[in-house]
Amino acid sequence: MDDILFSGHPTDVCLRLPEPIDRVTLHRLVTAAQDRLIAAGLRPGGAAALRLPPSLAYVVNLLATWRAGAQAILLDHRLTDHEVDRALTRLTPQVVIAPLRTAGGALKVFVDVTESVTRHADRPAVSGHAVIQLSSGSTGPSKVIGRTAADLVAEVGRYTRIDGVPLPGERIILLPSMVHVLGLVGGLLYGLHAGVELVPPQRLSGDAVLAAIAADPTPATVLGVPFHIGLLASTRPSGPLPQLRRMTTGGELVPAAVAQAFTDRYGVPLGNMYGMTEVGVIGTDLHGAHRPSIAPAPGIEVRESDGELWVSCPASPYVGLSDPTRWADGWLHTRDAGTVDADSGLVTVRGRLDSQVSVGGMKVDLTEVEATVAELPGVAAAVVVWDDGITAYVQPDGPLSEEMLDKLLAERLAGYKRPRVLRLLDALPRTTTGKLVRSTGALRSAARP
Amino acid sequence: MPGQPDLGRADLLTMLAELTAKPAAEVPDRIGSMELAWLVHLIEQRYERRLDLTDDDLAGIRTVDDALVVFRASLIATADG
Repeated sequence: MDDILFSGHPTDVCLRLPEPIDRVTLHRLVTAAQDRLIAAGLRPGGAAALRLPPSLAYVVNLLATWRAGAQAILLDHRLTDHEVDRALTRLTPQVVIAPLRTAGGALKVFVDVTESVTRHADRPAVSGHAVIQLSSGSTGPSKVIGRTAADLVAEVGRYTRIDGVPLPGERIILLPSMVHVLGLVGGLLYGLHAGVELVPPQRLSGDAVLAAIAADPTPATVLGVPFHIGLLASTRPSGPLPQLRRMTTGGELVPAAVAQAFTDRYGVPLGNMYGMTEVGVIGTDLHGAHRPSIAPAPGIEVRESDGELWVSCPASPYVGLSDPTRWADGWLHTRDAGTVDADSGLVTVRGRLDSQVSVGGMKVDLTEVEATVAELPGVAAAVVVWDDGITAYVQPDGPLSEEMLDKLLAERLAGYKRPRVLRLLDALPRTTTGKLVRSTGALRSAARP
Repeated sequence: MPGQPDLGRADLLTMLAELTAKPAAEVPDRIGSMELAWLVHLIEQRYERRLDLTDDDLAGIRTVDDALVVFRASLIATADG
């Protein structure tokens, strides 16, 4: 790991928070954390669960876990205790790293964390993967996705060969969470490997992003999700920003008007990336030249099968799941509808073929939300749909108020997965054979007073 | 009332409509962390000042009305300060 992530000059700044953390300092912090994890019971072949918000503590403990020869289980800090308990039961980490105290204030992109390390189970990791991530699942509980060290190293290598990524000596203004693949590999691991400084803005606001860009004369790339384009497009810079090279976003497709508003204001390319937790970056259009299409990343093959995009992926990334409709014979079935142009090889993603939606760049499977709502006490039946936002239609089987539902859901689902609209109906609309109706039009009509 | 910021519920709904690309009348009352970040950002742009909010302030906000109370209090506090 040191060869891949710590091979640069010792005094190079890796992170600016805003106080600079250079490579030798980061290495010292990581080795000290490694000693603490080992003292708490982490062993090679075991696993550590990280339940930390984006922070120096997260970076240090993640790298320390790998350096100890263990698997890192990344739990989004917004998950509820209910969701985390289910994950810990399945994944049996030897230690759990969680915040003891956090400080910093509201809307921080990076927070100050004092962490605690707690011994959890005395078992080996459930798989040989270097990292485990959870993805909202279509069967209720989250899908468990594993990536090997070799796979992560290969993805970092892909980034180095993509035209338009930040170069050594440049900066990434980092907005996406490093718990998820874009921020983890495209931000943290690529940045450490390539000698690109990682700069989280002081706060989640347009002004703070512009201040981070302007803080240093070296070229800067803003990495984010589509929500962050809106932040910048609605912020008026107080002066020229010659350092700004481009903004690159992953996540869902960006409407053409939003992309235009950004490029009109800043005069730099708005790059687009397509990737998945299972394989990392699949394709890019970092010059904004092919929008909405992307070119496959070096070493990645994409093909179209009956309207679905399949991506080359040598081994199944799923832990404890053998589903040939998701992965078979070296191909990941993305469940994204799309096309591959026979001449240019460009890939166009046309939307999901299943019930997965994107909320601020976070993938949410509506089936998970619906299963959670339907299992609540006092609920007879529920239908959860996407109607420009997660919308739940609920048939109670006793006294139930919206407020009670909200409270129960807050205990069971992370905020970004929770319905924005709740509608209580005496009876949900059903077909003549008794199946729940899922069309948004019929559900809206049924909810109308 | 003197000293009251000219920020109303309709302003917040218009700001959220911009984010969700929905008509203001169809903006859900329930808001999450992304909507909150968006509102704080736009209010700071509009009033050209930073809202001094804590995590606890934001954690208590579930609806547009909750947000309005917190934002108005913060605008008054920063105007006084």
